[in-house]
Amino acid sequence: MFRIIRKVLTALLLTVIVVISIVPFAWVLFSSFKTNSEILSGTLGFPSGFHFSNYVTAFGLAPLVTFYKNSILIAIAGTVLNLIVCSMAAYVVVRCTFKLKGVVMLLFSMGLIIPGAALLQPLYTILNATHLYNTRTGLILVYTALGLPTTFYVMMSYIKTIPYTLEEAAYIDGSGFLRTFVQIVLPLTRPAFATAGVIQFLLCWNEFQLALTLTGETGKRTLPIALYYFKSAFASDYGAMFAATVVVVIPSIITFILLQKQVISGLAAGSVKG
Amino acid sequence: MTKNKKWIVLFLLPGILLFSFVFLGPIGVLFGTSFTNWSIGKEISFVGLKNFKYLFTEDQTFVDGLKNTIVWILLQATFHVLIGTTVAIVLAKKKWYSSAIRTIYFIPNVISSAALGMLFLCVMNPQYGLVNSFITKITGEGFTQNWFMDPKSAFFAVTMTWLPYAGLVTILVMAEMSSVSEDVYEAAKIDGASSFQTDIYVVLPLMKNIIGTSVVLAATSMLQKLDIIMMTTNGGPGSRTMNMPMYLYKTVFTNNNYGLANAQGVLLVILGLIVLKSIRKMFHMDAKE
Repeated sequence: MFRIIRKVLTALLLTVIVVISIVPFAWVLFSSFKTNSEILSGTLGFPSGFHFSNYVTAFGLAPLVTFYKNSILIAIAGTVLNLIVCSMAAYVVVRCTFKLKGVVMLLFSMGLIIPGAALLQPLYTILNATHLYNTRTGLILVYTALGLPTTFYVMMSYIKTIPYTLEEAAYIDGSGFLRTFVQIVLPLTRPAFATAGVIQFLLCWNEFQLALTLTGETGKRTLPIALYYFKSAFASDYGAMFAATVVVVIPSIITFILLQKQVISGLAAGSVKG
Repeated sequence: MTKNKKWIVLFLLPGILLFSFVFLGPIGVLFGTSFTNWSIGKEISFVGLKNFKYLFTEDQTFVDGLKNTIVWILLQATFHVLIGTTVAIVLAKKKWYSSAIRTIYFIPNVISSAALGMLFLCVMNPQYGLVNSFITKITGEGFTQNWFMDPKSAFFAVTMTWLPYAGLVTILVMAEMSSVSEDVYEAAKIDGASSFQTDIYVVLPLMKNIIGTSVVLAATSMLQKLDIIMMTTNGGPGSRTMNMPMYLYKTVFTNNNYGLANAQGVLLVILGLIVLKSIRKMFHMDAKE
């Protein structure tokens, strides 16, 4: 008896979480192909046909192409820069001994405890003062630093697992510090690059509050802000709102499904130091 | 070694510079200006603790936001983690659907929270939203609850946009569970424990650290929830769904009162530290392995 109740409860729990995770997305996806009158009648079913007009309207109402370009540029640059900076720092911290090592590690882990929202106004002021407000460069630098603690930690724990003998052999053969790092260490660290890179990419792609506060004009903004435009200015055009949501969400979902292993191991590694 | 010193500095410098630019500098500005009267176009002047005193004694919206934030932290640290852990334990019994469900459950966590906010704004729309259409369909009567705008349901509606979506907790706990040795299950079985008993009395205690980490992550995420609130209620109706980040944002960009905003930022950082410290204490996480 007890076993049956447990089985039923298990099935119920799993059904509920699958429904709440999938149904809202599926409904928005289907609705994005419906006509406005179909949407307003509150029908639950499939669209009567694939109407792409909502997408056309969405791209017409907001400069989604510009947002897309900015998002891609900022996410890629923010990820590459983050990986370079962090792999260098992590390598030195793991392999070298120097006096301020503890301070450096403490400093980077501090980044995890500070709620981003607390820094909204100071960042805004500092970016204004350095003429980086409302520039893509500004956002790239901020995102690079934002993911620094996590990437640094992932890199550090991975480099620790690489045997030192390879580097030692390279040094004996007369290879310098930089060359050993680039030719021996970096190729071995590829899995960590993949793991940390995916997490960092998603962070840049999805970030909203800093993108909103640190940029001022449409030409410099990223995709999540597009949704804010729709919410505040075109809230009556439901079909376009659905289409815009789909357009923003799809890349994140595809990235996750294709690189699931990296996302999961990155999250597991990146959160444990918390 | 002296030659290496040059490289150590060169390799660390970019990271430290960036970190200073985005964290250390702003933290300095944050704490420094929280004791000042500073708003747009006005001379900045030192006022001591006046901002803090004002927030707690005269600013009802701030107090409401603080209360809501604390309630959300408590809900997230308990129910959210409980849901995620339960799902992890269920999915850890490797069935054909386990990894598929894990993937599906995690999807709401990988998309932009702004998009999630938009999604719920549509799903809970009073006229054409999925929730109301569904209720209308099964009851046969018109149902037009305005979830996000009705003071009675707004807090609940906002909470539902994050409370049940514990995919991250599930993934973290499952990753930790996969490192539990088969011997442990074997031993429990030999001692006559049912699989339910094994989960509760043997496996769960082994998960203490990762659950503690999940509680920290879940609780502190509530100090950052600006995007979903902005997309759905803007803190309203009244200050029913106001939280600290939302009010801070309004203080900066609507009221342009920078000194007051940074005092709130300082309180946000302090609240974060209190939350972190107390959870670590509760889970005895300070004892390093």
